[in-house]
Amino acid sequence: MSNPIGLQDGGLADPASTSGASEEPGGPVISKSPTQLAMGRLLKDKLTMISAAFVVFFVLLALTAPLAYHVFGWIDPLKSDQDLLNDFSLPAGKWGGISSDHWLGVEPGAGRDTLARVWYGTTFSLLIALSATIVAMVLGVVLGIVSGAAGGWVDAIIGRIIDLTLAFPQTLMLLALASTGMIMVRNYLHTPAGNVTAAVYVVIVLGAFGWTSIARIVRGQVLSMREFEFVHAAQMMGASKVRIYFREILPNLWAPILVTFTLMMPAFVSAEAALAYLNVGIGAPTPTLGNVLSDSISFADTAPVYFFVPACMIAAIVISFNLLGDGLRDALDPKGNR
Amino acid sequence: MWAYAARRVVIGILLLLALSLVTFILFFASPADQAKLACGKQCTQAQIAVTEKALGYDKPVYEQWAGFAKGVVAGRDFPIDQAQREAAPETVTHCAAPCLGFSKYYGETVNSLIKDYAPISISLAVVAVVLWLFFGVLLGIAAAVTKGSILDRGIVGLTLLVYAFPTFFIGVFFLKYVVVKWGLLDYPYYTPIAEGGVWGWLTNLWLPSLTLALVFLASYVRMTRAFVLESLGEDYIRTAKAKGLNSRAVLFKHGLRAALTPLVTMTGIDFGTLLGGAIITESVFAYPGLGLLTVQSSQAWDLPTVVGIVLIAGSFVVLMNIIVDIAYAFIDPRVRLG
Amino acid sequence: MGNRLKRMVALGAAGVLGLSLAACGGDSNDNGNKGPGGNNGEPGEAGGTLTVLQHFPFESSDPNRIYYGVQLASWRRTLYRGLVAFPMSEDPAVANTPVADLATDTGTSSEGGKVWSFTLKDGVKWEDGSDITCEDVQYGASRSFANDVIIGGPTYLLNYVDVKDYPGPYKATPEQQQAFDEAVSCDGKTITFHFNKPWADFPQAIAGLMMADPYKESQDKGDGSKWTILSNGPYKIEGNKWDKNKGATLVRNDQYDPATDDPEQLRLALPDQINWEVNPSDTAGELFNDRLIQDGPKDQAAITWARLNPAQLSQISGPVEDRYLNVVSPYTDYLVLNHKTLTDPAVRKALAVSLNANGYIKATGGSTVAEPAETIINPGVSGSQDNPAFAEDNDNNGDPEAAKAILEEAGVKMPVKIKLAYQKSPTQDKAMAIIQQTWNESGFEVTLDGQGDTYYDVIAQPDKDIDVMWAGWGADWPSAMTVLPPLFDSRPNFSSTTCGNDYGCYESDEVNKLFDDAANAADVDTQVGILQEIDAKLGEDYAYIPLDNQKFNWLRGSKVTGFTTTPASSQYPEIGLIGVAK
Repeated sequence: MSNPIGLQDGGLADPASTSGASEEPGGPVISKSPTQLAMGRLLKDKLTMISAAFVVFFVLLALTAPLAYHVFGWIDPLKSDQDLLNDFSLPAGKWGGISSDHWLGVEPGAGRDTLARVWYGTTFSLLIALSATIVAMVLGVVLGIVSGAAGGWVDAIIGRIIDLTLAFPQTLMLLALASTGMIMVRNYLHTPAGNVTAAVYVVIVLGAFGWTSIARIVRGQVLSMREFEFVHAAQMMGASKVRIYFREILPNLWAPILVTFTLMMPAFVSAEAALAYLNVGIGAPTPTLGNVLSDSISFADTAPVYFFVPACMIAAIVISFNLLGDGLRDALDPKGNR
Repeated sequence: MWAYAARRVVIGILLLLALSLVTFILFFASPADQAKLACGKQCTQAQIAVTEKALGYDKPVYEQWAGFAKGVVAGRDFPIDQAQREAAPETVTHCAAPCLGFSKYYGETVNSLIKDYAPISISLAVVAVVLWLFFGVLLGIAAAVTKGSILDRGIVGLTLLVYAFPTFFIGVFFLKYVVVKWGLLDYPYYTPIAEGGVWGWLTNLWLPSLTLALVFLASYVRMTRAFVLESLGEDYIRTAKAKGLNSRAVLFKHGLRAALTPLVTMTGIDFGTLLGGAIITESVFAYPGLGLLTVQSSQAWDLPTVVGIVLIAGSFVVLMNIIVDIAYAFIDPRVRLG
Repeated sequence: MGNRLKRMVALGAAGVLGLSLAACGGDSNDNGNKGPGGNNGEPGEAGGTLTVLQHFPFESSDPNRIYYGVQLASWRRTLYRGLVAFPMSEDPAVANTPVADLATDTGTSSEGGKVWSFTLKDGVKWEDGSDITCEDVQYGASRSFANDVIIGGPTYLLNYVDVKDYPGPYKATPEQQQAFDEAVSCDGKTITFHFNKPWADFPQAIAGLMMADPYKESQDKGDGSKWTILSNGPYKIEGNKWDKNKGATLVRNDQYDPATDDPEQLRLALPDQINWEVNPSDTAGELFNDRLIQDGPKDQAAITWARLNPAQLSQISGPVEDRYLNVVSPYTDYLVLNHKTLTDPAVRKALAVSLNANGYIKATGGSTVAEPAETIINPGVSGSQDNPAFAEDNDNNGDPEAAKAILEEAGVKMPVKIKLAYQKSPTQDKAMAIIQQTWNESGFEVTLDGQGDTYYDVIAQPDKDIDVMWAGWGADWPSAMTVLPPLFDSRPNFSSTTCGNDYGCYESDEVNKLFDDAANAADVDTQVGILQEIDAKLGEDYAYIPLDNQKFNWLRGSKVTGFTTTPASSQYPEIGLIGVAK
């Protein structure tokens, strides 16, 4: 099925539907472990290595933003400075207020530093995407293993649940459920009102709608592994079924999990932005890439720098993760059993 | 064949029932006071009680759902409370089957609301599907036959780049730059065929539809490219080529056929999802379709409308799934047996 | 006292006059680049089709439920005539005085303002051709009492009409109905209202609001009439039904006779047709103005109720500037101090002294979007004058040093923790951050609490932990009686669960006593004097801190004529004067 997280009014086809088409890797290499093979292929793939470098860069950015703000004081995403604005409250100066102090200009209205907001926003955006990905992965992997290993009516029921989840119009549900959902999050999880609740809500709901693709992949893998010797061996040694599923099968699933993880992250970064546009999720003054971009659209033609900077940041993150995911998939060929 | 189709339809109907039940539970089991919200801010306790009865919120969720399900099959009258209907017969609204409920906020049945707003969403979806299928398949084939060339890389890279930017950024960019700043196109506003003719309808639709189509384009390009490549590598194609068929004939007769099934699946489901309203695109262009209706009614806590739209959108998805499955069975007889 | 009062009225008037002069055009060079353009005020010819672009839905089309300023003002000119109405004048002295509409004069009062009567003109008709009768007016007034069915409208009549426990026409027993029919009685074409206390500005009240408009009983379906319209004005609705999210088409009402009207003063009704397009999408307002900036063929005869987005203002130049108006609106924003948590007067004073109103205004878009306010009473309201507590020694930039000095002197331990609540929006997020920053420099430690749709419910709670709240207000009619008592009279506002509109839970016996005096004043001048005294007292107590008077930025299509704003139109474009050039 397409659109694991259909939040962009659509989405990139999910790995399950396109991976069948992954190109065959180069000729056979003898006497190397599959992991070594994969590494070898990866290292030769320039594009993937470049995108990996970018991904590392973005993750580092996200990790260092709190340091840069709280420890070193290089950036301050919350400090307003209206002296940098003109009579229309737009950034003064030709290029959106770019100066030696403000490398990416300033925000209209309050005059906060765009670099600081985008840098710190990356932290929050990636944090949300990461949390939602983890929720979706855990749900998907557990349900996928259970479904594939148990078979029978359990498998059937989980299959129906997947159908049901996919039948929900997801953007619509996220939006429509937001008001009630946030009350529920606050009441049941006792989160403080405001951004924490909003963030938890977004993470839960993105995860709850995003797990189906990984569940299907994992189920397929489990089905094919059920007949493997090591599983039989474990069974003969008297290992419990649950133990076998999780201790023996899970470690063998790392490849599809890694690939799906890498492809799910950018989808959730986009989803965060889309939700911010609909006023769901973390709101200002706390910056996320989504809410900075969503604020900037009112100034699209009057403060272009402010409009393009967060958009390009989102695009760069999405592209890097996607290319890395594609590269990993080609290298690991997790659907190789087919 | 017919037995298979019937089975799919039955499963689809069961799925819709489950969808409606889950939606009901999600919305009506929330801690918010539905009657108070439906009644409005200035309502007194007594008015709230009346509203509660009129909308049936005093009953347990499963009874409300049963009433709703009955309304879908046989229609129903509002207010739900019989005593209120008898006391003021002039205020009774009959909602014919399939009745999706009554919105107190709009003072209309949900059916008539959806009938009012659906044309825009459907128009957008139709034009978008045509755009992305045409360009997606065309570019996908172009990329496949020139595999590895600059053209191939350019097509794949560019579509990924467009995909990586959030939809609302693309939409706002089109509006604020292409239309307002550069004046390349007339300002789009929805014009029904009855008013502007087919041409007027189409010219006003194509910018928002293009925004929507660009999101999906990357998936379709990649998929077409992948399947064409895969099938070009298969034995029967090689045979066909060996037989001396020219490569264009091979491509279109054999290569595309392999790509057809997954394309049909993906198109069907994406189209189904879009029929439920492209919230973000409609919002950016201020096109009053189902997406906008959702935003409005969820802001106003108008739950009957929200539930109605979720169900209609879900039905589109389920319906497209059924159609795709049955179409599959026609294309590939093995499916029926599986 | 009298002398002082007169000066103040004059001052207030001067303020409005200034903005009205700006509104009606004149020499744009005098006003610099942002000044309004040239031909806006020229009167137009009859005919053509006007388009009204509206970016929000109306709550109802039932006259008794309408409470939106722009809806009241524009429908008074097109669909619903009243007994009296405000004239379309830019001069506030004229504009704030009602003139006769359906009635032959502006009403006669007796018994010190406790009894008011009006006589209907001959020949005034509903769109179905039937005469408008005294009973129609009586029935319309009675519907206001059925506020369990007719939800959302103004409830002033309930407090004034001399009748007890009247539930409205739908549920009244014959005795109750009888009692009402005596309190609001008909004698031929003359309707007489009997009140339980003086109502000095009753004509103003019913000119602005539609609570005493006629309503034809045979058309009434209670809640079911929420969206139907039976017009008696120069236009009627095609299909008689207003579509909440789409609007409607207004065409000429052939039963309307201009001879019974005063078109020059009340409604020129120039266009033959008005296409009223509603699009409630969040982005619609901005897109409407984009369209008007572009001035494409479809939009040349269009106006919109959507203000220009602050960012769009930088695009108002060249020919676009000729189609642009910038006026002070009737809406004033203010901060409310919670008197249950901020019990120390020094803290309240320090907050007021260090409030950075200029920074707030800049964050919302700058001087074309708002101007600093020195009182909660908007300059368009009779008797508005600077409140000394806020106007003196205050440049509106916020003075951190002065605030710290005040806190130090009072022995308050710094930093004082303050929770500042507001209704969330991207603009407000930035604007509040500015206020926060200056307060943080002034011995406070401010946390921001941006709230969602239920904001006003939250800040009405008596036991909230919020210290300062943002709020906005516009007068129901140009009298401070519709500003100060609704916001600061604790008696009608307080109940066990809410502080009502008195968000700061401010309670003062002295002020309440003055409110009674103002309500019982026999004439408007005395009333204004008392209200000015109340405002001064509220300033001394820092019951509120004024923030800004919002300004309106209007754009029109190039073929729209007679484009101006009046106090009667709440400073929205005055639709009664607008025409369409060929």
